[in-house]
Amino acid sequence: MLNFNIDFTGEFFAFFLLSVCAIVGAVLAINFAKVVHMALSLAFTFVSLAGLFILLQAEFVAFVQVLLYVGAVTILMIFGIMMTKHQDEEKARSRPLLETLAAIGCLCLFGILFYAIRAASFPLPAAKLPDNNTLEIGKLLYSAYAIPFELVSVLLTVAFIGAVALAKREEEKP
Amino acid sequence: MQRFWNDPISWGHAGIYLLGAIAVLAVVILFVTYAIYFERKVIGWMQYRRGPNRVGPFGLLQSVVDVAKLLLKEDTVPAKADRKLFILAPVLAFVPSFLVLAIIPYGLKLQFADVNVGFLYYIALSGVTTIAIVIGGWASNNKYALLGGMRSAAQMISYEVPLVMSVVGLTMMTGSLNLRDIVAYQGEYFWQWNFIPQIIGFVVFVIAAVSELNRTPFDLPEAESELVAGYHVEYSGFRFAFFMLSEYIYVYAIACLATILFLGGWNPPLPQLDFIPGLIWFALKFACIVFFLFWIRATLPRLRVDQLMGLAWKVLLPLAILNIFLTAIGIEVFGKGG
Repeated sequence: MLNFNIDFTGEFFAFFLLSVCAIVGAVLAINFAKVVHMALSLAFTFVSLAGLFILLQAEFVAFVQVLLYVGAVTILMIFGIMMTKHQDEEKARSRPLLETLAAIGCLCLFGILFYAIRAASFPLPAAKLPDNNTLEIGKLLYSAYAIPFELVSVLLTVAFIGAVALAKREEEKP
Repeated sequence: MQRFWNDPISWGHAGIYLLGAIAVLAVVILFVTYAIYFERKVIGWMQYRRGPNRVGPFGLLQSVVDVAKLLLKEDTVPAKADRKLFILAPVLAFVPSFLVLAIIPYGLKLQFADVNVGFLYYIALSGVTTIAIVIGGWASNNKYALLGGMRSAAQMISYEVPLVMSVVGLTMMTGSLNLRDIVAYQGEYFWQWNFIPQIIGFVVFVIAAVSELNRTPFDLPEAESELVAGYHVEYSGFRFAFFMLSEYIYVYAIACLATILFLGGWNPPLPQLDFIPGLIWFALKFACIVFFLFWIRATLPRLRVDQLMGLAWKVLLPLAILNIFLTAIGIEVFGKGG
């Protein structure tokens, strides 16, 4: 199970670097105390994940990921600045029992994931990936997956209108 | 897309990429130096002044001296600033602005990376600079800087939407987001270029682009009469220079993009003029757009904040969506060639 056959190409180094960046960003996001720092390390993770998508030849997904999450992180940062007090930093109380249990849980989860990934086989796709995969995504979205696509749009519109309605009601009674 | 990470790792390959990057940096810094000079001269000319004329012949060395001054200035970090983020922000603003230049094709052969979603790449990376501006404003621990950063974020996010929408019509006609394909699609004569069938898209694109660049009349993040200097009040010396540098690099990138998307890229306006190399045509169109940006800066007053948001959501976005519908009808009636 533990035979890692690795060939040292540029792809391997890129993958290694990007995954380390993604993990570091995620860990820092949990550990930072200030909300702006957290949002920034979250953005770091998202950009690293976009890099991993590029390695998988999914440029469209990668750049859409950066486009959406960068905007999202900016908004998160602004709301974080506006809605939290940035003077006082409260110290987290240490709870040894809870932390030990959490550590055991995490190790178990890691073990399960590691075993599952090592045990799984990844068959190569039968057909070669199309050259212009953005075009293929568009074709699929408007032919085979047209109804799910439209449903998602309706869902987003409903959420959008709901957000506007909630914000309006707040305005009427100050 | 080129898979350059499949190349074997060697000093030779790394050296080639490094040399390419340094060449682009040199071109861009030369552009920025003389764009600043040209901007001051053009605005001076429009306002019956002389503009810079003391350092060197016709004041040509003025920007060089200005940069040297910035380098020699004391580099201050405010005592109550968030030190790490304060230092990180200019870097974070500059890096994406430089990365954006990798996908711009200057000619059929002259391009660094041929990405099949070229336009999305630009939009995605330019958003990262917004984060840097918000961080810079917040880390300065200054009211004006924070307000500038907030305004910048609101403005960038609002205007990104019409900017992307304005290019959708063009993408529908071309059937590709690849910048090289878009240029290749545009015909030989200048009336076959995208700016005529996509005139609404072109207008929306230019307005949204000026706003994305934070230039007058949309320079609210650094409105000096309201906010002292906006998000970079506390910055001095070379850190300030990096913010300005990335701003001018975006001018360069947007002018290149407008040339490529709407003005036929390196194609000559008439096929008879083919003997002049494409790079010169590209540079001419590019220079026209840069001049246009300076021109509106000298002419138009600044918008108010409420007008700014209204313009993006109530005027530009409906126009961009109308353009998409019209393009769809056009393709249905006339076919893709019309």
